[in-house]
Amino acid sequence: MTGSLAAYQSLLDLVLLNCGLALSQFVVLRAGVFSVATAGLASIGAYAAGIATLRWGAGAAVGLLAATAAGMLTALLLSLPLARLRGVYQAIATVAMVQIVLSLALYATDVTGGANGLNGVPKLVGTPELAILVLAMVYVLHSLGRSRIGYAFDAIRQDETVAVTLGVSVAGYQALAFGLSGAIAGLTGGLMAYHNRSVVPEEFGFGMLVTVLAYVVLGGRRSVLGPLVGALILSLLPELARPLADNRLIVHGAVLMLVITYLPHGIVDSLQIAIRRRATAASRAQIVGKEAPDGPA
Amino acid sequence: MARLDLERVSRHFFGVEALKGLTMSVLPGRVTGLIGPNGAGKTTVVNLITGLLKLTEGRIRLEGEDISELPPHAVARLGVARTFQNIRLLHEASVVENIVAGFHTSDHTSLPAQALGLASVRRVRAGLVQRARELLAEFAMEEYAECLAGELSYGHQRRVEIMRALALAPSVLLLDEPAAGMSDGEADELGAIFRRLADRGLALLVIEHNMRLVMSLCDEMYVLDSGELICSGAPERVRSDPRVIEAYLGGEAC
Amino acid sequence: MLAQQTLNALVAGSVYALFALGFTLIFGVHHILNLAHGAVFMWGAFVGLYAVTWLNAPFAVAIVGAAIAAGLLSVALDWVAFRPLRRRGAPEFSAIISSIGAGLILMNAAQRLSQTRVMRYPFGTFPIEVYKVLGLRVTLLQLTIVGSVVFIVAALFAYLFYTGFGRQIRAVAVNQRTASLLGVNPDAVYFQTFFISGALAGVAGVLIGIAFNSVHFLMGEPYMLRAFVVIVLGGLGSIGGAVIAGLLLGLIQTMTIAYVSTDLSDAVIFSLLFLILLVRPTGFFGTLHSQKRVARE
Repeated sequence: MTGSLAAYQSLLDLVLLNCGLALSQFVVLRAGVFSVATAGLASIGAYAAGIATLRWGAGAAVGLLAATAAGMLTALLLSLPLARLRGVYQAIATVAMVQIVLSLALYATDVTGGANGLNGVPKLVGTPELAILVLAMVYVLHSLGRSRIGYAFDAIRQDETVAVTLGVSVAGYQALAFGLSGAIAGLTGGLMAYHNRSVVPEEFGFGMLVTVLAYVVLGGRRSVLGPLVGALILSLLPELARPLADNRLIVHGAVLMLVITYLPHGIVDSLQIAIRRRATAASRAQIVGKEAPDGPA
Repeated sequence: MARLDLERVSRHFFGVEALKGLTMSVLPGRVTGLIGPNGAGKTTVVNLITGLLKLTEGRIRLEGEDISELPPHAVARLGVARTFQNIRLLHEASVVENIVAGFHTSDHTSLPAQALGLASVRRVRAGLVQRARELLAEFAMEEYAECLAGELSYGHQRRVEIMRALALAPSVLLLDEPAAGMSDGEADELGAIFRRLADRGLALLVIEHNMRLVMSLCDEMYVLDSGELICSGAPERVRSDPRVIEAYLGGEAC
Repeated sequence: MLAQQTLNALVAGSVYALFALGFTLIFGVHHILNLAHGAVFMWGAFVGLYAVTWLNAPFAVAIVGAAIAAGLLSVALDWVAFRPLRRRGAPEFSAIISSIGAGLILMNAAQRLSQTRVMRYPFGTFPIEVYKVLGLRVTLLQLTIVGSVVFIVAALFAYLFYTGFGRQIRAVAVNQRTASLLGVNPDAVYFQTFFISGALAGVAGVLIGIAFNSVHFLMGEPYMLRAFVVIVLGGLGSIGGAVIAGLLLGLIQTMTIAYVSTDLSDAVIFSLLFLILLVRPTGFFGTLHSQKRVARE
């Protein structure tokens, strides 16, 4: 009884952490930045929190603050060179960044524990803390999404040239998106460190990069619900059937291919667009009924 | 109210001289026309003014201030708005949303306020939506407010793009072939709108191929051919200038 | 010692060049970033190995078989992962995502087939002969590798620049619409470029498989990442650039491992990638496609 409850709880924890990562990836994609740096930024956050506690005895609050700050600052630094790049080149640069972080983590054994990573990190966060922080992140992103910043992101993503002629500073807003993405990734990394009680460098490699990308591709990159739905589905899928768990790579791969071909906006966004079309079809029918072929009503 | 001056503006790229030493002015309260055969460099002029392209030589001044080196978003913030040759609206967004996008620079809410989802943010947004609807009313298109922009007729899409540009509260409006593909009646309506805007004090630059519209609407005109200014002045003078007629290969009966 | 290392660099660099060639061909002609290229390379290695271990084929036959198999696999990849997107006029982003998905599926299939083992060639597959040339130890294998790559690159150049098919490929690279209006069948071109790209990767896979005597389902990943460096350094879409950059990369990597540290070699390489993206994103021999890279002209 308690065994299965504990299993559900740890599953919930996993989903919450994955949601955090998905939100980080979501922010940059919404602003039209093709960055996949989330895994690298989360790694930095995890190490920051782990080292802060193991080396300097920091508590969870300080450790998580350090993790968030580390992620955000790294991302802002990254945004400077990345501002000159577009599309696949941003992707390549951020893949390189994730590799560099992994490589350095493996190399700097004195600081990071090398290939063994950090072990013995105290379990400073449990489900309630995870839930509260993830919810807070969702709230902030949701609020921003409905404000000037969110609309600026949408404009940049859909047509950068138009955005710029409307007074939107592309470099500025993309840097902001990067910073937010880094802060969220850093915080989530810190939470991972305190929850999993260890920081393993390989966990933050290409595998996480692809998985996190899959969350947002599946769910959608406009609505904040998108990454959450994507993370939820892909985290729970392995639990539904053993074969799904064993063939994780195929599942993620198939999801990516099928979704991007047949439902390119992702589940949540496609639904919203469909609902939108229904609603405007009605209003359009009214107008067509009213007006003569030439000229307004 | 502002005037736009181009002084010996040139642009070369990939070995091609797209524009050679153009000097022209767009004055407030007047409609200035820019015509010329295809490839003459007209859109290049607009791209240079708005900062999307860098000048190779020359200066561009807005009310005397040099804006040549400014990035595009800064030029827009100074009150220079434009429309595009191939209408660039966000097709998946509603008409209102498209126009509200133009009000970006009017939204001064702070980052913390936005992140916390304060009521003030929502009020500001609602205000912008209201202003967008007022613009729609002015253009007699209120009932199209919630339609997806992609579903509108060409003529209506054009108007939405113009409204979006007006949302910037510009002092200078650059229109790139606004009447393309329109019937005479629609083009005349557009012309009336432009006249109204000029009367309000805007400085309008209109790039057009529709000679009828341009001749009746513009207070003065500039003619480009292969990147060079070949004629300028009042429409009557330009219409009968032999160089202009030749540039259009036998010319259009105006 | 330095000379010996230079020889090692030449061998490593040739293989990088071969791998990168297939990758850059697809990008140069079709502007598709095929991230499943590493998986095709890996499958080429698999086919080569199985040809020897299951079918007792001589090595030469195995390598040709692997080239053909990988070529066909690559064509199938285009049909499944990219063609549907072309039909729908999907943006660049979609093709990249689809290729990631396809790569994952291919890797997982290989993982199941090989049962996650590292496979090796039976002793005696390739004759072990060492020669002394100018005071250096050179193995027959090293000679074969460099020799094969030189031959293949020359053949590719001849094909692209001296045959009708090659002309068609180059026409499509400049402008697909115009080329098809002039009578070039784009489907035929896609078939050729993907087949050639796959065959090149397949050969590279077999060569690497025998050189390190190790074939496993993850072997494509490090090459994929290095390919990024090669193509950015050499210019995305440039054949000559890919070759030169591949050799350069071989040199940098070998020297870093020999004289600095093995662990840091990754960090060095990817930092180099980053630097190039910032300083000269068009690479040293970039083609027209470089235009889309930076924000304001």
